[in-house]
Amino acid sequence: MKYGLLLIITLFSITLFAQQKQFATADDGKFIYYKVIDSQKISKDVLLKRAQDFVATQKKTIQTESQTDSSIVAKGKLIIDKTVLVVGHPSGEIMYNLTFEARDNKYRFWLTDFKFIPYQRDRYGNFVAVTNIGSPLEKKVDKLTAGEWKDIQAAAYLKVAKLVESLKKFLATDATVKKTSKPAETISTKKW
Amino acid sequence: MKKFLTAVFTMASTTCAFAQETPTSPLEISGSVDTYFKYDFAKKPNIKTSFASDHNSVSLGMIDLVLKKKTGKASFVGELSFGPRGQAQSIPNAAEDVSSFHIQNLYVNYDFTDKFSMTAGYMGTFIGYEVISPVGNFNYSTSYLFTNGPFQNAGIKATYKFSDKVSLMAGLFNDWNVYTATRGVSSVGGQLMIAPVEGWTAYLNVLSGAGGGGYGTIEDLTTSYQITSKFKLGLNAANYDIDNDGGGYAGAALYPQLAVADAVTLGLRGEYFKYKEVAGVAGDKYTAVTFTANIKSGGLTFIPEVRLDHSGNKPFVKENGMAAPNAGQFSLAAVYAF
Repeated sequence: MKYGLLLIITLFSITLFAQQKQFATADDGKFIYYKVIDSQKISKDVLLKRAQDFVATQKKTIQTESQTDSSIVAKGKLIIDKTVLVVGHPSGEIMYNLTFEARDNKYRFWLTDFKFIPYQRDRYGNFVAVTNIGSPLEKKVDKLTAGEWKDIQAAAYLKVAKLVESLKKFLATDATVKKTSKPAETISTKKW
Repeated sequence: MKKFLTAVFTMASTTCAFAQETPTSPLEISGSVDTYFKYDFAKKPNIKTSFASDHNSVSLGMIDLVLKKKTGKASFVGELSFGPRGQAQSIPNAAEDVSSFHIQNLYVNYDFTDKFSMTAGYMGTFIGYEVISPVGNFNYSTSYLFTNGPFQNAGIKATYKFSDKVSLMAGLFNDWNVYTATRGVSSVGGQLMIAPVEGWTAYLNVLSGAGGGGYGTIEDLTTSYQITSKFKLGLNAANYDIDNDGGGYAGAALYPQLAVADAVTLGLRGEYFKYKEVAGVAGDKYTAVTFTANIKSGGLTFIPEVRLDHSGNKPFVKENGMAAPNAGQFSLAAVYAF
């Protein structure tokens, strides 16, 4: 019973915590996701190369706009899902601008200019963009759409956080080191 | 229905177990529910376009259930609807009587490459602006062009995407709106999609072969342009000629829509439509103006609508039963999409 109560309190806290997560606001009033990462003993060039490789692996959803010897500016999109357990469907996409800058032993990046484009089911049962003009994610909406808009903002934050985690992991990994693959385990039934 | 729901949950659970081993897209489930009240100003059903047919009644549209799954390059879509809009009114009814269901989409697709794909099965038609599902239309009542054109086509089609701005589809199809061909795989169709500028998409469609009323050819232009974030303009124009002077139709409809608030969009549909002459007898001509609002809150959309139709041949009736050149109706629909 005690453990059950503890579990409920923990889950409740997690829910509250999840609700609190939201984008910070930049000087220009737009939502921003900003991170500075200390990356010990990794040179600027290596960090930039890894960032370029990361963008290349996401080429269907991230396109480089410009780059210098220490920075990358790219545009990207993330699909927002309406998912309950294992079922659901895409409900829209978030367009964003990504800026990445590298120095020796550290890098920073930020995502901003978030715009939401809703999806609608087409005549063939596929979800497609309703329009090509996105709504700024930080915009204030009227009461009728406020609840749905809050859910979209929360879903966008979670997707961006997930993307950021994969970017950080990619930049922390030396892809030139080849992984030694273990031979597949075989099981013999001849011996006990 | 019970068996269907059991099957859905079984598939969902299987997906869960399977997903742990192979990366696949989750099973997509979506759909809609709609209901409406309509009041004909002549106090009897008067305008003969599709759906929303009951006068002075809170009536049902349909519940529409869509399943989609993609595994690697292969995917399927299955869409079933139940309720008056999704039964006999959708043509064809899946059973002999009227208390059955309608298959909206039932097809498989394979993406050979990012640019080339093939699809086979029963699909929503590629002709026209409006569709059966109320979620896909701005207006709740439907146009004469929609009512007289194909609803669905069974067949096999290949699509090649040259770029985001140009794609071409070509296919072989059964006659219109049938699960089983009555005149063989008798139609050939094609669609050229072009997106000349950002926000503007145009579809040039042709379907030739066995169709409504005989063998014939439809040429159709369906286009929409999101001119600003608030204003969108749509256009549908079509011409259908049935062989051997068997008639057909021609018409055009314009769809301007203006978002006046986050949750409210106002729209107009102005349509001109005429049936072609058959054996020397001229067909009726119609003009119709429909004023519609879409008020959204979450998945729910309220659709109040006023519609006025005119035809010089007096195909409508007055309250006293006399022929009339004009007809009007008010409707209020509620559509929930999930």
